[in-house]
Amino acid sequence: MTAASAPAGEQAGGLPAARSLARVAANRTLGSLVWLTLEVPGWPGARPGQFTLLQAQDSRCFLGRALSVAQEQGEFVSFLIAPVGEGTRELCALREGERVWVLGPLGNGFDVRALTGGRKRLLVVAGGVGAAPFPLLLSRLGCQDVSEPAEAAEVLVLLGFRDAAQAAGAQPVIDAAAALQERGVMCRMDVVTENGSLGRAEKVTETLQRDLRPGDGLAVCGPWAMCAAVARICAAVADMEAWFSLEAGMACGVGSCHGCVIPLADGTAARVCREGPVFTTQAVFSSGFGPAAGAAER
Amino acid sequence: MNETPDLSVRLGPLRLEHPLINASGTMEIFELAEVFGREILDRPPVAAYVPKTITVDARSGNPPPRILETPAGMINAIGLSGEGLEAFVRHCLPRLLELPCPLILSVGGFSLEEYVTLASGLREALDGALGDVWPAKAGLELNISCPNLHTGCVSMGSDPGETGQVVAAVRKVWPGLLVAKLTPNVADIGAIGRAAEAAGADAIAAVNTYKGLVVDRTTLKPYLGNVTGGLSGPAIKPLALRAVYDLFESVNVPIIGMGGVATAQDALEFISCGAQVVAVGSAAFREPGLGARLAVELRTALEDRGLTLGVLRGCAHSPC
Repeated sequence: MTAASAPAGEQAGGLPAARSLARVAANRTLGSLVWLTLEVPGWPGARPGQFTLLQAQDSRCFLGRALSVAQEQGEFVSFLIAPVGEGTRELCALREGERVWVLGPLGNGFDVRALTGGRKRLLVVAGGVGAAPFPLLLSRLGCQDVSEPAEAAEVLVLLGFRDAAQAAGAQPVIDAAAALQERGVMCRMDVVTENGSLGRAEKVTETLQRDLRPGDGLAVCGPWAMCAAVARICAAVADMEAWFSLEAGMACGVGSCHGCVIPLADGTAARVCREGPVFTTQAVFSSGFGPAAGAAER
Repeated sequence: MNETPDLSVRLGPLRLEHPLINASGTMEIFELAEVFGREILDRPPVAAYVPKTITVDARSGNPPPRILETPAGMINAIGLSGEGLEAFVRHCLPRLLELPCPLILSVGGFSLEEYVTLASGLREALDGALGDVWPAKAGLELNISCPNLHTGCVSMGSDPGETGQVVAAVRKVWPGLLVAKLTPNVADIGAIGRAAEAAGADAIAAVNTYKGLVVDRTTLKPYLGNVTGGLSGPAIKPLALRAVYDLFESVNVPIIGMGGVATAQDALEFISCGAQVVAVGSAAFREPGLGARLAVELRTALEDRGLTLGVLRGCAHSPC
């Protein structure tokens, strides 16, 4: 990342690498998930797949929580959050006007040009709250006015949720997909749930198995086990390229603590926060389907 | 007090603009520069920069998971991952020497000989880069306290005799500032501090993390890949303050105090217990610029109380 797009803190505070204090602009319940929109002073804009560390101002937790940037409009930045542990529950309970510490945007994010370049079809595959990065990703497709104009002839969005309550979190993705259609990119969606309370009763990996074609490009985000299953499915299909946005327990989010490392296929290790969170299949899953780096919340 | 208090402090031949530095292994300043912009290299958030512990050989570190948040803190078992001495000297040291602040280079070994190898190798590199003026730029911290290694290192730092031997051996080859960083996982940290001082240490850093363990709530097995880890953060502050307090009564050399520092009040408390310099660690994970902010707030806190650093230092030991 260049200094021109350095995270918000530098602009907001007088000291380098300060975090910024954002205001909750809206908190919308989407079934069992929450769509939290913050007004972040000096927000420099994020690439899809980048994340921030968020911590409620009066948090009882020690560290921030790594959360994908789900959507942005100027200094209004939205996050899709599952109340999994204490830190995310605090964030989900915030009301309009309350304050949140924001460090970011952090990490590499998806390379939109690489995802779509020269490919007929882009598949977006998400499990549960792993849908978070994709409203922003879809918003960047088919746009001529962004720095990374990218074309894909067709986009297929496959979302899998535990149940209908969690699937309500698909709404921002549905909205972004509709906008993409309006920009003239063919975009189809399929939402399934494990218990069949919305859509077919199946795992999103089963949906993918049916739909995947040679030559597809994939953007994937979800639990580690789902990502590993997607990688196995892709391994059997020719000319595939997949990028995975991975989750890991993190302390610093900037590469300082070396806490979030995962083993890479070439025998080296990478920090999910710094070299990731987006990795290619070849980088992560080629040898065995490595162990998870720990959960952000448990 | 009418004048702005002077925050500068000396640590052997090093002059620090203020007393706030970082704990080793908690700040990758070049990564921060890539994420937040290069300005941080011109204005580091710490008065002296302490890089991650250097080992003789490259190490991949411990298997994941390596970290978990705990009540008022966190536990880690990174295991001193790093590129090793040779690569550090070639790739990292030249860039570090361009920073405007002093450096305190942290080294960790699995034997006494490895500590000597590390000190000699760094001395040679500094001689080559800066000539004989380098002791004003770079000091050495002996990490004899990492709780996540099973041989060398902390096992030496847990014994006064072995601590004295490793400090004395390095002292022979290292003419600059020599700091011994101590583990708190001992019965009498004052005895270890006295041994380090007697063997020639110029300063004592305390504390490294407290050895601990977290259990996976689902599997009921140890959560960390290394089974045990080191506990840090505000949870350990009273324990760390007690260690600094004991050391101040035990040694005459300056103390670098750390353990759960998150606010300017914490810095005041460590200095009152006897610290000359205060390090931030885990709390800077959530706020990378913490050291710089605390330096500003420390100045205000001293002004508000009409104190100087000299009056504050060790004042917890004086009768009321």
